[in-house]
Amino acid sequence: MTGRKLSRRLSFGALFVPVVAWMCYLFLLLPSTIVFPISFGNTKEMEFPPSEWSLDLYRQFFNDSAWWGAMTQSLFIATVTTVFTAVLSVPAVYALQRARLPMSSALTHFTMGPLLVPVIVLALGLYLQWAPWGGLDRNLTLVLSHTMLATPFMMISVGASLRHVDPALENAALIMGASKVRIFFRVVLPQLKSGIAAGSLFAFLISLDEVIVAYFVTGPETETLPVKMYSAIRWEVSPVIAAVSTLLTVVSMALAVALMMLERKQRSE
Amino acid sequence: MTTELAEKSVAADTGSMMIEVHRLTKQYGDFRALDTVDLSIRKGEFVTLLGPSGSGKSTLLNLISGMTSPTSGRVVINGVDATDMPTNKRGLGMVFQNYALMPHMTVFENIAFPLQVRGMKKAEIETRVAEVLKLIQLENVANRRPRALSGGQQQRISLARCIVYNPSIILMDEPLGALDKKLREDMQLEIKRLHAELGVTMLYVTHDQDEALTMSDRIVLMRNGRIEQQGSPETLYFKPDTVFSADFIGSSNLFQGRLEGEGDTVTLTAGKDRLAVELRSEAAVGPGDEAVVLIRPENLHIADGAIPEGTNVVTATLLDTVVLGGVVRHFLRTEDGRQLVAQVLNRSDRARPKRGAPVQLYWQVGESRLLKADPTFSKQ
Ligand SMILES: Nc1ncnc2c1ncn2[C@@H]1O[C@H](COP(=O)(O)OP(=O)(O)OP(=O)(O)O)[C@@H](O)[C@H]1O
Ligand SMILES: [Mg+2]
Repeated sequence: MTGRKLSRRLSFGALFVPVVAWMCYLFLLLPSTIVFPISFGNTKEMEFPPSEWSLDLYRQFFNDSAWWGAMTQSLFIATVTTVFTAVLSVPAVYALQRARLPMSSALTHFTMGPLLVPVIVLALGLYLQWAPWGGLDRNLTLVLSHTMLATPFMMISVGASLRHVDPALENAALIMGASKVRIFFRVVLPQLKSGIAAGSLFAFLISLDEVIVAYFVTGPETETLPVKMYSAIRWEVSPVIAAVSTLLTVVSMALAVALMMLERKQRSE
Repeated sequence: MTTELAEKSVAADTGSMMIEVHRLTKQYGDFRALDTVDLSIRKGEFVTLLGPSGSGKSTLLNLISGMTSPTSGRVVINGVDATDMPTNKRGLGMVFQNYALMPHMTVFENIAFPLQVRGMKKAEIETRVAEVLKLIQLENVANRRPRALSGGQQQRISLARCIVYNPSIILMDEPLGALDKKLREDMQLEIKRLHAELGVTMLYVTHDQDEALTMSDRIVLMRNGRIEQQGSPETLYFKPDTVFSADFIGSSNLFQGRLEGEGDTVTLTAGKDRLAVELRSEAAVGPGDEAVVLIRPENLHIADGAIPEGTNVVTATLLDTVVLGGVVRHFLRTEDGRQLVAQVLNRSDRARPKRGAPVQLYWQVGESRLLKADPTFSKQ
C-alpha cells in the first residue's frame, strides 16, 4: 500500500516538476520570442501579430551599412576578445595550479573579481579610467574591457580541464628530457582543448551580447551591434531592431547549443 | 676519519658506478622522509628498494630523478654530480605505477615522443618505434590510444617508451602495483629479460618481497627513511642482520628472551622454552642481553620418529595446514601461545599430522640465527 502511495507521489512529481519548469521557461522566453514574428512583419511599424509577412526587415538590415557594419564590428570584437582571453587565461591557470606560488589561491580568487562587481560599476570605472588616457572609441579598449569580463569564465572552464590532467604526465615528459615549453605545448595544451573550447564560446558570447561596458567605452567609430540596438530603441524605434534581435538570438543560441554538446562530449569521455 | 676513507674509495671506483648517493637527506618540516642515506649502484646492476609504506623508497627515487631536491647530500650520476641538475638533463628513464602514458597520443606517438625530444629524424623514429614494439610483442596496437589497452599492455608500452631512447638508468616505482598476480609474474620475467638484453642499470621500487627476491641482484631494505640492510636476495633471506629484516623478508619464527651461559653456544630462555643458540660476533649480543632467535619455516621440522642430535625441541599444536602446490605450510601454536610456521615439501606418500594434534618441532642449532632484540619492533 505504501508502495502504491509512493509511486502515486512519484508520478505526480514526475509530471508536476517539468510542467512548472516549462512554465518558467516560457515566462522567461516569451517576451523575447515575440520579436521573432515581428521581424517577419512590415517595415513601417512594429506590430504583433504582423498584418503582413515579408523579409523586408532583413533586407533592410543587410542593405543598411550602419547595421551591417555594427554586426561585423561585434563579431570582430568578440573574436579578438576570445583570442585575448584564451592567450591570457590558459598560461595563468597553468601557472596558478602548477607552480605553487605563495599567493596562488588568493590570486585565483582575485581573477574572479570582475564577477563580483556590478557591471555598471565596472563600466563607469573603465570609462573614468580610459577617458583621460584618450582610450575611448577604440577597438583595443573595448577588446581589453571585454577580455576582463570574459576572463573569469575562461579561467573556470580551463581550470576544471586542467584538474583532470595528471601531473605525473608532465613529470614523465620531464624525465624523458622534454623542455618545459615542449611539455606545455605537447603534453598539457592538447589535453585542455575541450576546456579552452568551452571557455572560448563563453568569451565569444559574453562579448557579443555585452552592452553596458560597450555603451560606455565605444563611440561612433567602434559601435557594436548591441550598443546600436540600444541607441536605435531610444532614438528611432525602427522595426529593423526585431530582425537584428532575431539574428543575435540565433547566433547566441547556436553557440550555446554547441557549448552544451561540447560539455556532453567532455563528460562522456 | 671513516667518511674520508669512504670518500676516497668512492672516488677510486667511480668509473664503474652508475648512481652514487652521499649522505642524502630529505626533510619535510620536522619529519625526515630520507635520513642520511649512502648508496652506490654499479653499471648494469638490478637494485630493488624494498620496504614498508612510508619508508622513503619513492622519496629516494624522486631525489635521484630530480623531481624533488634534497635537504642535504649529493647525487652523482655516471660520475657527474647531478644534485643541482634539472630533471630533463639527467638522461634517465622512468616507469610509473599508473603508466603515465599521454592519453591524447596514440601508442606510436607516445613511444616516439622521447625520440622527437632528442631531435631524431622521422624515418629513424619510425624504425626505432617499430623495433621496440616488436621487442615487447605489441606491434599491432601502434595506432590505438592507451585507453583502449589493458593494464598489462599499457605498462608494456610505458616500458617501451622508456627503453626506446636507451637511457643508461631506468627507475621504476612499483611498476606492477596495479596488475593482477599472474600478469605481475609475466611482467617480472619480461623486465628481467629486458634488463639482461639491454644491460641497463635498474633501480626498482616495490613493497612486495617476493618481487624483490625474484628480480634483484641486490635488495636495499628501507625502514623509516634509512637503509636497514642491503645485500643479495640470499643474504637478506638467510642472513638478516636485524629482527626487522628477518620479519619483513620471508616468513619467520622468532623467539625472544635473555641469553645465559658461556662459550660459543649459549641458552636463550623464551617463556617455558630453553633454546640452544650459537653466538655471532656481528649480532653484538652476549650473555645477559635480550636477544631474538630466528628459524625459517623450512628449517623447522615436525618430528616423525626419532629426533636427531644437536637440535632444539619445542612442543606445539597443529592449527592448520595449507597446501601451496609443491610445498605444505603447517601453522602451529606452542603452549604459551606463540605462533609458528613450518614448511615442508609436498610428498604424496607422506601422511600429514592431524589438525589439533600435539606435535614435536625441532631444528638444528646451526640453522637458527641469533639477532639483537629490537625494542622498537615487536611482532608478538
Ligand atoms: N611532499 C611531502 N610532504 C610531506 N611529507 C611527505 C611528502 N612526500 C612524502 N612524504 C612523507 O615521506 C615519507 C616517505 O614517503 P615515500 O613516498 O618515500 O614512501 P614510500 O616508501 O614510497 O611508500 P609507499 O610504499 O607507500 O609508496 C612518508 O611518510 C610520506 O608521508
Ligand atoms: Mg612510494
